[in-house]
Amino acid sequence: MDLFLQYLANGVVIGSSYVLVAVGLTLIFGILGVVNFAHGEFYMLGAYAGVTAVTLFGMPLPLALAVVLVFSALLGFGAEAILHKPMKNRDATSSIISSFGLAVALQNAALLTLGPQPRLLKTEFSTIPIELGPVFMPLQRALIPVAMMVLIGALYLILRYTWTGRSLRSMSQHATVARLCGVRVERVAVVTFMVGAALAGVAGFLMSSVFMVHPIIGNMIVLKAFTVVILGGMGNILGAAVAGLLLGITESMTSAYLANGLRDIIGFVIVIAVLLFRPQGLFGKAFERS
Amino acid sequence: MKKLAILLVVALVAAAPFVVGGYETNVLMNALLYVILATGLNLVAGYCGQFSFAQGAFYGIGAYTTAILSRDLGTGFWFNFPVGIAVAGLFGLLLGIPALRLKGHFLAIVTIAFQTIVYLTLSQWTSFTGGQTGLPVPSIGPVSLFGTTLFEITSLRSYFWFTLVIAVILLFAVWRLLQSRIGREWIAIRDDETLASAVGLDTTRGKLTAFVGSAALAGAAGVITAHAMRGVTPDDFTIWISATVVAMMIVGGKGTFIGPIIGAVLLTSMPEFLGGFAEYKMFLFGVLLVITVTLLPEGLIGRVRRLRERFS
Amino acid sequence: MTSVPVLEAKNLTRRFGGVVAVNDVSLRVGRSEIVGLIGPNGSGKSTMVNLITGELPADGGRLIFDGADISSQPSYRRARLGMARSFQMLRLFLSLSVEENLLLAHHIRMKSSMFDTIIARRSAVEEENSVRKRARELLAWFDLEEFADNPVSALSIGQQRMVELARGLISEPKLFVLDEPAAGLSPPNVDRLITLIHRMRDEFGMSILLVEHDMRVVRDLCDHVVVLDSGVMIAKGIPEMVVKDPVVVEAYIGSGWKRRAKA
Ligand SMILES: Nc1ncnc2c1ncn2[C@@H]1O[C@H](COP(=O)(O)OP(=O)(O)O)[C@@H](O)[C@H]1O
Ligand SMILES: [Mg+2]
Repeated sequence: MDLFLQYLANGVVIGSSYVLVAVGLTLIFGILGVVNFAHGEFYMLGAYAGVTAVTLFGMPLPLALAVVLVFSALLGFGAEAILHKPMKNRDATSSIISSFGLAVALQNAALLTLGPQPRLLKTEFSTIPIELGPVFMPLQRALIPVAMMVLIGALYLILRYTWTGRSLRSMSQHATVARLCGVRVERVAVVTFMVGAALAGVAGFLMSSVFMVHPIIGNMIVLKAFTVVILGGMGNILGAAVAGLLLGITESMTSAYLANGLRDIIGFVIVIAVLLFRPQGLFGKAFERS
Repeated sequence: MKKLAILLVVALVAAAPFVVGGYETNVLMNALLYVILATGLNLVAGYCGQFSFAQGAFYGIGAYTTAILSRDLGTGFWFNFPVGIAVAGLFGLLLGIPALRLKGHFLAIVTIAFQTIVYLTLSQWTSFTGGQTGLPVPSIGPVSLFGTTLFEITSLRSYFWFTLVIAVILLFAVWRLLQSRIGREWIAIRDDETLASAVGLDTTRGKLTAFVGSAALAGAAGVITAHAMRGVTPDDFTIWISATVVAMMIVGGKGTFIGPIIGAVLLTSMPEFLGGFAEYKMFLFGVLLVITVTLLPEGLIGRVRRLRERFS
Repeated sequence: MTSVPVLEAKNLTRRFGGVVAVNDVSLRVGRSEIVGLIGPNGSGKSTMVNLITGELPADGGRLIFDGADISSQPSYRRARLGMARSFQMLRLFLSLSVEENLLLAHHIRMKSSMFDTIIARRSAVEEENSVRKRARELLAWFDLEEFADNPVSALSIGQQRMVELARGLISEPKLFVLDEPAAGLSPPNVDRLITLIHRMRDEFGMSILLVEHDMRVVRDLCDHVVVLDSGVMIAKGIPEMVVKDPVVVEAYIGSGWKRRAKA
């Protein structure tokens, strides 16, 4: 039982990073209809930016976090100009292929400039252990779910109560109507990409103390995040939050009780099953699949 | 006239190993394999309009079928080749089933999930696939007919010529397929699925045959690769292989016969022209893919054709 | 009129969310008969067509085609059994040539197997050639012969409509369902269309279900008409009687029907 709780906690930590990446992805899909395979690269580059800020420039964590936020948001700004602006009125696969290309380019650019050797973030928090009953982990790790909840909570409030948030939501419901009502669609698109990228970048930074940072970490995380997006229902933020935690926990349990080799596969098997039998996601209402 | 030109090109390619060195022959051999892979992808994505990012997975399935057959049954190329094609085709059928219900984004994601599952299985199921270290595969060796040895396939050159022969046969088969009713039906499904069924076409069968054909070609390339490389490892069949094949098809021009062939040759040989910048290969593939999709969605061949139409 | 109808639709119903687009509608099309399906915009005519040809599944009702129950057959099977259709929003395979558009519709009538065509067996090649010849003949019938090798996208709307008709004809249907074939045609072309539809029935002996807006076309062509309003059948009978039916007139008030009916 104690071990079970420990696995659960580990799953929640990993799941939190999935949530942060997937929420941006689902926003970009839900609002702009773009399937962004380069999203994992925001995570990877955010991680590098954070590690560099802390280890090379000796910044304190909150400042490094701010750097990561700004840096990833800028990446999102650039990505929008490549993946969305020129691709309007094109078929669904165009943006997928293009983002695929961008992912390959960014990843290899990172490999060329930063090299393949992995890095790990070590801060003053990594050595402070905390114990919650039978569950044990370094403080730095325990902060990840907390940071996730703060960020997602803030996002939720922004979407709910600010003018920008309402434009975002109206866009996701009906782009043409939103345009007619005076929503500045171009600006909404840029903001969506920036917010999505910032969330993914922060996730990368937070996880840089748990997993090694190297240029190809974006690969797996983006695939996992897609799994979460589909499980949660395309465009559904709360769905993605719940599904992200669920996937993290499922993986943790699979590796603990079934086989470690199945850990990464399980999500993809689930995703194919869900797309075939429940395309609106686990929680969503009916959704057009084209 | 056209036939003569094709013969000439094939003859030139066949003569290449006499002129260039072993390294270049190896590059050419790779180009041939990618021609088969990209042409295969083109059937399903270019002609039938069902996008797939899983060509690398079928390539791996063909190669691993060979490796596992030679390990467990001690079979040689002539047995492995049809079986590898059939097994890959069977998995193609499996991936085709979601395509009956899903379109666009959702289908693309399923194919990516499939590619990832295959890769993870190859790399994690150590007892069956050898895990990260992979499996050894014997060379094709002597080819004999009625007890007499005709020739031997062990050297790089012999592999190259052998691959060339197979590639030409496969491309000819694809050409016939595209000229036949089924090719026309694939285009119809791509253009307008509702209309295709309204005129009586069985779109289910059409899509499944495209998936099977596409996967079978990748399987064929996989079997040859496994023997030529004397072994397989999971990292030869990652999603980046799929990405490369997609890039080749898109850059050359999807939905045309010649486009993916040109794209495959171009992108395989491109790193060789980069000289000291060869390590930028994948980076450039990515950039090229973005630029092509954005500015030249019909690919090189498509653009050339359009220009020619405009001037005539 | 013979006793066994080509098509018999019984109590078809189809809902879209809360809207009942087709509500318990029945109709019959006899052999070599031209039946009109009319009604104001949004009355459910196209939905009815889609139910009959199988593009949409029905929520209720049955379809008998040529004596067999086809209610659960997918659209491609219905086409093979002898149903052809045209679309209100014209539909053609845009990346193919005019001739290829016709050939595709004839695939279902070809005898040689797929394998024969791949290996280019003599009989298959001969069949393909004879089908091409047939396609040219039909195109000549529609004055489109010279465009056979052009991409369909290069034709005018009027010509594309004719290609749609030729596409239906080449599949040798027993029933041809036409969804507003006159939409977007100029008046002289409408006249031509009327002549062509007459000839289609007289020379090929096929039955036609004609969805139409233009009363002139309906009066010139139809043996019978069925009138829909808000998904419900409100009248049926011979055209002359139906247009005078006060219920029908009422349904059309405001959509310029009276003017057109008198013209
Ligand atoms: N695919 C659909 N989804 C939702 N509603 C539809 C759909 N197709 C038709 N409708 C509705 O059904 C009704 C009948 O439409 P339709 O059959 O196109 O009429 P008509 O062809 O007579 O103009 C209309 O209210 C229309 O809005
Ligand atoms: Mg209509």
